[in-house]
Amino acid sequence: MVTTELAHQVLEEALKRGAESAVVRLQERTYESVVYDTGVLRSYSVSRVVGLGIRALVGSGAGYAYTTSLDKDSIVGAIERAISIARVAGKYGRKVFAPVKPVKDVYKVEVKVDPFNIEPKAKVDLVRDVNTNSLKREGIVSAVTRMGLERDRRVIVTSEGSEIEVDVVGVGVAHMAVARYGATIERVGDRESYIGGYEYIERKDWNAFAEEIDRLALKAVRARTPPPGTYVAIVDNEVVGLLLHEAFGHASEGDGVVAGASILKGRVGEKVASELVTVVDAGLVEGGYPVPYDDEGVPKRKTTIVEKGVLKGYLTSRDSAHELGIEPTGNARAQDITFDILVRQTNYYAEPGDWKVEELFDGVSFGIYLRGRGAMGGQVNPSVGTYTFSIGPSYIIKNGEPSELVRGVVVSGNILETLKEVDAVARDLKITTSVFGGCGKGGQTVRVGDGGPHLRTRRIIVGGG
Amino acid sequence: MIEEIVRRGVKAGAKYGVSEIEVYAVRRVDTDIVGTVNGIERISTGQRISVGVRVSVGKKVTVQGGFVSKVEDVDSIVETAVKIARTLPDDPQWVSLPRKLGKTHVEGVLDPRIKNPELEQFLEIARHLLSRAKEIDRRAFTSTVSIGMATVERAIGNNYGEIQLDESTEFDTFINVKAVEGGEESGYYDSYVAPTLHRYDPEQLVARATEVAVKTLGAKRIETGTYELVLIPRVFAGVLQSLIVPAICADSVQKGRSPLKGKEGSQVLSEGVTIVDDGTYPGLTGTKGFDDEGVPTKRKVVFGKGVLEGFLYDSYTASVEGKVSTGNAFRPTSFATPSPWISNVIVEPGKGELTDLVREVRRGIVVYSTIGEWLSNPVSGLLNATVTNAVYVENGEERFPVRGVVISGNIYELLKQPGLTLSGTLESFSRFMLPAIHIPQVTLAGK
Repeated sequence: MVTTELAHQVLEEALKRGAESAVVRLQERTYESVVYDTGVLRSYSVSRVVGLGIRALVGSGAGYAYTTSLDKDSIVGAIERAISIARVAGKYGRKVFAPVKPVKDVYKVEVKVDPFNIEPKAKVDLVRDVNTNSLKREGIVSAVTRMGLERDRRVIVTSEGSEIEVDVVGVGVAHMAVARYGATIERVGDRESYIGGYEYIERKDWNAFAEEIDRLALKAVRARTPPPGTYVAIVDNEVVGLLLHEAFGHASEGDGVVAGASILKGRVGEKVASELVTVVDAGLVEGGYPVPYDDEGVPKRKTTIVEKGVLKGYLTSRDSAHELGIEPTGNARAQDITFDILVRQTNYYAEPGDWKVEELFDGVSFGIYLRGRGAMGGQVNPSVGTYTFSIGPSYIIKNGEPSELVRGVVVSGNILETLKEVDAVARDLKITTSVFGGCGKGGQTVRVGDGGPHLRTRRIIVGGG
Repeated sequence: MIEEIVRRGVKAGAKYGVSEIEVYAVRRVDTDIVGTVNGIERISTGQRISVGVRVSVGKKVTVQGGFVSKVEDVDSIVETAVKIARTLPDDPQWVSLPRKLGKTHVEGVLDPRIKNPELEQFLEIARHLLSRAKEIDRRAFTSTVSIGMATVERAIGNNYGEIQLDESTEFDTFINVKAVEGGEESGYYDSYVAPTLHRYDPEQLVARATEVAVKTLGAKRIETGTYELVLIPRVFAGVLQSLIVPAICADSVQKGRSPLKGKEGSQVLSEGVTIVDDGTYPGLTGTKGFDDEGVPTKRKVVFGKGVLEGFLYDSYTASVEGKVSTGNAFRPTSFATPSPWISNVIVEPGKGELTDLVREVRRGIVVYSTIGEWLSNPVSGLLNATVTNAVYVENGEERFPVRGVVISGNIYELLKQPGLTLSGTLESFSRFMLPAIHIPQVTLAGK
C-alpha cells in the first residue's frame, strides 16, 4: 500500500480538489520488541503503523490531515479536511514555504539479514541468556534486557515534483541492571544500536556487553553522590552528544527561533562558544541515524551551526527558512504520519580537535570525568537557555587522574555560558543512535544521532544527592 | 467500528485455538492548532484506529498490534500473534487475563464542545492568547501557543467478559510567554490539560504565565547550600510523577526496582502527606470507568498520613501475589503490553494558600518550574531537578528571581522532614490534583 503510485494519486486528487500545492507522506513502520525482565519474558510485541498524511496549501493557509484507513473514502476525507483547514488557516496567518529544487531518489539501508525473518525463538533465546546470566552475578537483584528491531519506510511526494523513498532498518539491544548493597539500590543501563540488519546482532557478544553494565552497577551502588557545586569537567563522547543536543541543538531549531522562543535568536555572527568548538548537523554520518531527506522531501545537507565558536545559522523547515530568509536545511521531521512536521535535529555533533584524550586530564588537580554509560537523557528550556541532563556513574578527577566513582550525577548550565568554557577538544569523534528512544519535542519522538569528541570545560554545575 | 473489531478479534482467537485472547481497540480523532508570534502556524487533524491483541497459548503470551485500516485487519494481527505465541517460552508467572470486566460510573470526561469543535472558536482563543501577554505587560509577549483536542473511543473485550466501551475527550493548551527587558530574558510555560473545558480559563492561564515570566526577569544563581523550598502544585506533580509514581507500581516492587519494597505499613512520608490513586475522580485526564484491561477503576489510598498502604496492580502483577487488580493497567500505546500505572493522583490538602506557605519561608526559594525532574532516579529515590523559574524569599518576602540551580536529595528524606507543610487549595494538572508543598531543608547546587 505504501507506494509512490498511491502518493501520486493522492497528490493529483488534492490538486484537483483545490490545493494549490501539497506534500503527501506515506509511511509503514514495523517495530518488534523482546523484553526479558528479571528472568521472565515480559513481552514479545510487534506493532505496525501504516498511514497517510497530506499538507495542502490554499492561498496563504496550510492544513495537515492524516488517516490510518487507506480506503478511497478515508483518503478523500483526509484530502478534503486538509484543504478546508487550509482555507480557514489563511484567515489567521500567512504561510509561505521557501522554494526547493525537486529531487527524485530512493535511499535504502543495506540489510544483509532481515531481522523480521529471524525466528522469534532465536531472538527470545538471545535476550533470555543475556538477562539470566546477568542475574547470576552476585549483587544484581533485577535486570531488564530488551531487543528492538525497526523498519521505517517513508514515501514523500510533493507538487513541486519531488519523489522520495527512504527505507531504514535498525537493530539494537538494551540492558539495565539493578544492584543492591546494604539498603542502597542503584541502576545502570546502556544500549547499543546499529543501522542495518540482524547481522549486527549476530556479530556482537551481548553477554560481555551486559557484564560490563552489571559490573558498573555493582561499583556504582557502593559509590557516593558527588558534592554539589561547580567543577572542571572532562566530558566523554556520549555526554558531549547530550550536551550539544540539549545545550545548542534545540535552541538552534528554526521554528523556535522564528517564534522568538530561542535564546539564540538574533545571535548569528556572535561568539557563543570557545573557538575550539565547531558544531554541525548532518543527515548521513557513520554511527548516526540516516536522514537523507526530511519529511518535506528536502535533502538534509550538512549544516554548520557553530564554526570556531561563532553562531553561523539555524536548522530549518521550508516555512521557518522563509521566515528567517535562509535556505531550508532539511530538518522538517515528524514522528509519523499522525503528526505534522516540526524542526528537528538529525545527527548533531561537534567536529574533532587535535588533543589526545589522555592529554585532557593533564593539569586537572580536581574535577569530574563525566561518563555517558548509564545516562538517562536531558532537557532544555530554549527560551532562557537553561539545560540539564542526567549522566552515568562518573569519576572524580584528582591530580590529573580519574579516581573515585560517583553516582547520581546531574549537570546543569546555560547555553550561552557552557561552551565558552571549553578549553580542549580531543580527536576521538564518535556518534551513536538508538532504536529505543530519541528526541522528544511537541509530543513527538524522532530518532536522532549525537556525539562528538571528548572535550574539557572549565566550569559546569554538578548536582548530586 | 471498534466494537466490531473487538468482537471479530475475540472470535478469531477461538478459531485459532488460543487459550485466551484480549482485543483492545481505540479510535482517536485529533485536532491541533499551533500559533506563534507570526500568527496561526499549523492546524492539523486526523483519525487513527489502533488495535492491540494479547493472546495466551498455555502460558505462552504475546502482544501484537498497530494501526488498522478496516475491521478485517484484526484477523491477520490475531493470526500472527498466535503463530508467534506458539514459539515462545512459558511465562511461569502467567495466570490469566482478567476474568471479570466491568465499568465504574465516572463524570467529567466528555465535553461536546471538544467532540464537535467549532474550529474558528478555538482559533480565536489561540489568537487572543498570542496577543494578550503584551497587553498585560509591555515587557512580555506570547511566543507559542498550542491547543489540542481529541475524542477517544475505547473498546476492550476478552474471551471471559463482556465488551467494555467508553468515550471521552481530551483537551490541552500550552502557552510560552517570554519577557525581555534591558538585555535580560526570561520565559514561562504554562498549560491546561484535562478531559473537558470545565476548569478552562485561558485568561487566567496567560495572566499567570505573563506574571511569572516578568517577575523572573534578571534571574541569577544563588550560592550552593541548604535552603527551604516551596514547589507550586504542578512542579510538585512533576516530582511525584518522576520518583514516587514508578516506585508504587507493583512491577517495580516485584522486580526489586522500588525503594518501597517491603515497606508496606511503614511510615515512609511525613504524617501530613496522604496520597490517593483514584481513577473515578471527576474531570481529570486519568478519569476512566475501566482501565486498559477492562477492569473497573476505583479509589485507593497509597500513603495514608505518610504510611505506605499498598501498591498499584494490573491483573498480571496482582496474580503474581495472589491479589486482584486495582484497576491500574495502563498501555502507553494501544498495542503495548499493559503494566501498572497511576490513574489519577490526589494529594490531600493542608491549610492556607500558596502565599501563606511563602510567608513562612525564612530563607529559601519558591519554584514555579523545573526541567529535568523526569530524569531523577526512582530506583534510588534521588531527585535532581534544574530550576528554570523561581524567586528567592527571605523572611516571608520575595527578594529576587532565581534560575539555573539544581535541587538535589533523596525524595523519601525530603518528604519525611518534620515541619513539611502543604497548602489547603488544590490545583488540577492532567492526572494530578494536588496542593503546593513547603519542604524545610533542601540542598541546592548553584554558584
